[in-house]
Amino acid sequence: MRNRFYFWVLFLSTSVLLIFAIFAAYRAFSPEWADYQAEYKKELVKVVKDEAAKSKARSLPIEIQQMYLADLNGIDRCTSCHIGFDNPLMAKSKVPLKEHSGDYLKVHSAEKFGCTVCHYGQGRATNRKEAHGLGHDTHWDFPIIPAKYLQSACAQCHDAAMLQAKGWDQAAKGEKLVNEKGCRGCHKLNNVGGVLGKALEGVGSKPIAYFPMGAVQGEKTTYSWFKQHFIDPRNLVPESEMKISVTDEEADLLTTYVLSLRAGEMPKQYRRLAITDGAKQPADGETLYKRYCIACHGEGKDSIFDETFNHTVPAIRNPAMLRALDDKNLKKIVSDGRMGTQMTSWKATAAGLPERDIEELVVYLAKNRPAGKPAAFSFPISKADPKHGETIFKMRCALCHGKKGEGGLGLNLRNPVVQAFDPEVLAVTVRDGRKDTPMPPFGKDGVNLKDQDIADVASYVKTLAQRK
Amino acid sequence: MNNTNQTGISVFKENLKSIGKSFSASFLRSGRPISDRSRAAAMFNNFFLHVQGVKTHINTLRPGYTLGLGFASFALLMMTVFTGVLIMIYYNPSIENAYNTVKDINYVVFGGRLLRNVHKWAGEGMIIFVMLHMARVFYTGSYKQGREFNWVVGIALLVCTFGINLSGYMLPWDQLAYWALVIVSNIIQSPKEITDSLGITQYFDIGGLSKELFLGGLHAGKESLTRVYLLHIMLLPMILFIFLGIHFWRIRKDGGLTKPEHFVPSAADTEYLSLPEKKGGIFTTSKTYGLMELAHGKTPAVGKDVEHEVLSWPNLLIAEAALFMLCFAGVVVYAFFIDAPLKELANPLIPENPAKAPWYFLGLQELLSYSAFMGGVGLPGLALLGLALAPYLDREQDHVGIWFSNQQGKKTALLSLVVGTAVLIGILAFAINFGWFRNWWPNVPQLLITLINPGNIWVGFMIIWTVFVVRKTGSTRMGAIALFTMFLVGFVILTYVGTELRGPNWGFYWFKSQWPPH
Repeated sequence: MRNRFYFWVLFLSTSVLLIFAIFAAYRAFSPEWADYQAEYKKELVKVVKDEAAKSKARSLPIEIQQMYLADLNGIDRCTSCHIGFDNPLMAKSKVPLKEHSGDYLKVHSAEKFGCTVCHYGQGRATNRKEAHGLGHDTHWDFPIIPAKYLQSACAQCHDAAMLQAKGWDQAAKGEKLVNEKGCRGCHKLNNVGGVLGKALEGVGSKPIAYFPMGAVQGEKTTYSWFKQHFIDPRNLVPESEMKISVTDEEADLLTTYVLSLRAGEMPKQYRRLAITDGAKQPADGETLYKRYCIACHGEGKDSIFDETFNHTVPAIRNPAMLRALDDKNLKKIVSDGRMGTQMTSWKATAAGLPERDIEELVVYLAKNRPAGKPAAFSFPISKADPKHGETIFKMRCALCHGKKGEGGLGLNLRNPVVQAFDPEVLAVTVRDGRKDTPMPPFGKDGVNLKDQDIADVASYVKTLAQRK
Repeated sequence: MNNTNQTGISVFKENLKSIGKSFSASFLRSGRPISDRSRAAAMFNNFFLHVQGVKTHINTLRPGYTLGLGFASFALLMMTVFTGVLIMIYYNPSIENAYNTVKDINYVVFGGRLLRNVHKWAGEGMIIFVMLHMARVFYTGSYKQGREFNWVVGIALLVCTFGINLSGYMLPWDQLAYWALVIVSNIIQSPKEITDSLGITQYFDIGGLSKELFLGGLHAGKESLTRVYLLHIMLLPMILFIFLGIHFWRIRKDGGLTKPEHFVPSAADTEYLSLPEKKGGIFTTSKTYGLMELAHGKTPAVGKDVEHEVLSWPNLLIAEAALFMLCFAGVVVYAFFIDAPLKELANPLIPENPAKAPWYFLGLQELLSYSAFMGGVGLPGLALLGLALAPYLDREQDHVGIWFSNQQGKKTALLSLVVGTAVLIGILAFAINFGWFRNWWPNVPQLLITLINPGNIWVGFMIIWTVFVVRKTGSTRMGAIALFTMFLVGFVILTYVGTELRGPNWGFYWFKSQWPPH
């Protein structure tokens, strides 16, 4: 009895095993690419004219195709499906049998470059889903990139001038936008730039897990993240302070550019022409202003209350402000930044701007400084009474500058740069106000404080740093 | 030179014709197994079969007794060896190539994906089946009557099974592998917690040294991969096979598997028995060891009645063949549909969150989250010690070969299951909802947490419960059943919590869909 039971178990298990062995063999013998190659042969037989070529096409072997890219340390098997990529006869076929478009392959031979160096995707994979690497379940960090971002690949080896001459200028346009929108005010690249945002070095080849993908719409890929992040940074990263406003088209250009910022360098023999960082070239003050300052300060004529920063960004090109700030003070602010605010220290040892560039910037900023000096302050500050100043401060200033001068709508008065100001400069600012900013005059043009009172306030402000 | 007028050529032709017969005769040594004698000879003349008895007790062949768990573990082991050797042809244990070669096994090696899947699932299946086999042996009391040491060998085999699985998990060098390696190296480092508390780490950093020895450096890297590979294909398999040989050999010396002392064959069994021929048969009526007169006394098989035994050929062999094929087919079908995981390339800069060890270590990782030392060394060490000592602390020799010994055993096991489940869930729910000392008093000394934490409280409860059962029933066997049931409950529940209910930063989540989006 029992032997019969065991016999049936043996028989059924063996049958199931055999059936699945057959399934497995079928699966192994009929991969996706074999179907495409069979189709390719059929089409080829149709397309060629003479009989010799037809029989040659018929006898083509169906086998896995691969390009071993020794210098690039990779293997691309894409042509197992994209079998007609180098066959002009397949120009009119459908993907994947179609010939590669354009004349790129003439100078970029497939044997040397392979496919994934430009297109991304998983070169080793031999089925469509995993080769294209789309979808979380493929666990592939570099899914195939859409045509609109493809030019990011060119920038790995070619410089902007050459690409622009050929009309492949999207990465270059993106770079231009980066330099004009002040992105590097917060993002370091090639060792120059602010530190509020993440450094951009190699950001184009970071793994998917590096990016917070939670709120990304559609495919959760690096390029989707970039584009959606350009359009609405806080949607993807709620705590982001990034200031950006771009059109859809500009977002695509920026995406192409950042995708080109890859960590690995191509081998020397692949690179054509030196890749130069425009930011390292000598630039005039206006260019520098756009590259590093404009994202926060805008045009710099009016002060802006910033909701994400939760304080006012000063109008650094405003004549009234410039009247109070001489070049020496301006340069100090640009070089050292303002502790406790988002203002970066731009000196060479911090954000990496050379001395020469800072001087250029200061010249540019000071261009609108009114010729005449403000009327000299008549009351001797040394005789001021900070205690009385405190009373006036609480009444007149604390609303904007905070009870302890910590800032709000108005500037943070406790910061070292303000504290380092000559008390006369403070007094003049209080007396005359700053035109086009929320800072009103408190002298005879305003609430008519006496010079004695103003001097008291200025001397009180100078003591703020010591107070808790 | 013969006198039957045969030419040399015709003799050669005859030989050629009968080549099949003569080969099989020489292979089997005693001809085809058509009589009892030749069937017996087929067993003891065969290198592979002679580790099994010529005759097998029919209790061994009852599917409901052993459930075939031990043999299934062995069958799975054979599968992993077979597929393992095949994928070793392609695998390259270097951090530059490991990931790529595993990809190539999946993509271009003929049937490679299936081979890798079978290797993976057969290996992880071993963990389940070895645990179940241990439970079967325990609940049928088969660690008694001379089998005490073989139980200890079995514990060693269990440890080897975990070790081989773990080391294999790390070889693909993907994110799973890398972060599991990091977690495991931290488990190995866990004695540091206690040396830190005692302030002796700078003189005696046993945790740090063990971690360094395991990783081949301070951080997981290429040296670690070499070591893990060595463990996986050489060291652990060698140890495993040596212990496996001892394990099987001792079963044979102990007279086969355990059986009830007063075995009553069922109706089905009697039909099935071709024996006994008490008189005139080729076998004596009771077991002897013939030439080996030295073997008497304690050896449990000597002097026992040979009743209720059938010839191993074919009765045992067909059962084994059936079970082997059942396992083989099961694994292949599973592997056909479900791929072994392979994630992104290892990236030391991007931690998986949560970084988890392989599932069979997640119970430990859960304990580790309370106290590194206790979860990594203290409690698992205690559990292994407890398991190994079970046969020496419970020396009652009756009721061997009967599931749960008797009615009282069944009740004890069931009660322990219910009580254990309730208590452990209670402890976990408390710790998850209210936190522990560190959440209440941030400056509490670590030593106090090492001593008093949910894991320790659970183990403490296990011990108290066991003592309670021993006192109440007056039977160490009942205590052993209670303790072992608690051990199984702990393993299953903690593994489940660690696997399914723990999310990023080891936070508690009912479902994976509630994990905060990254």
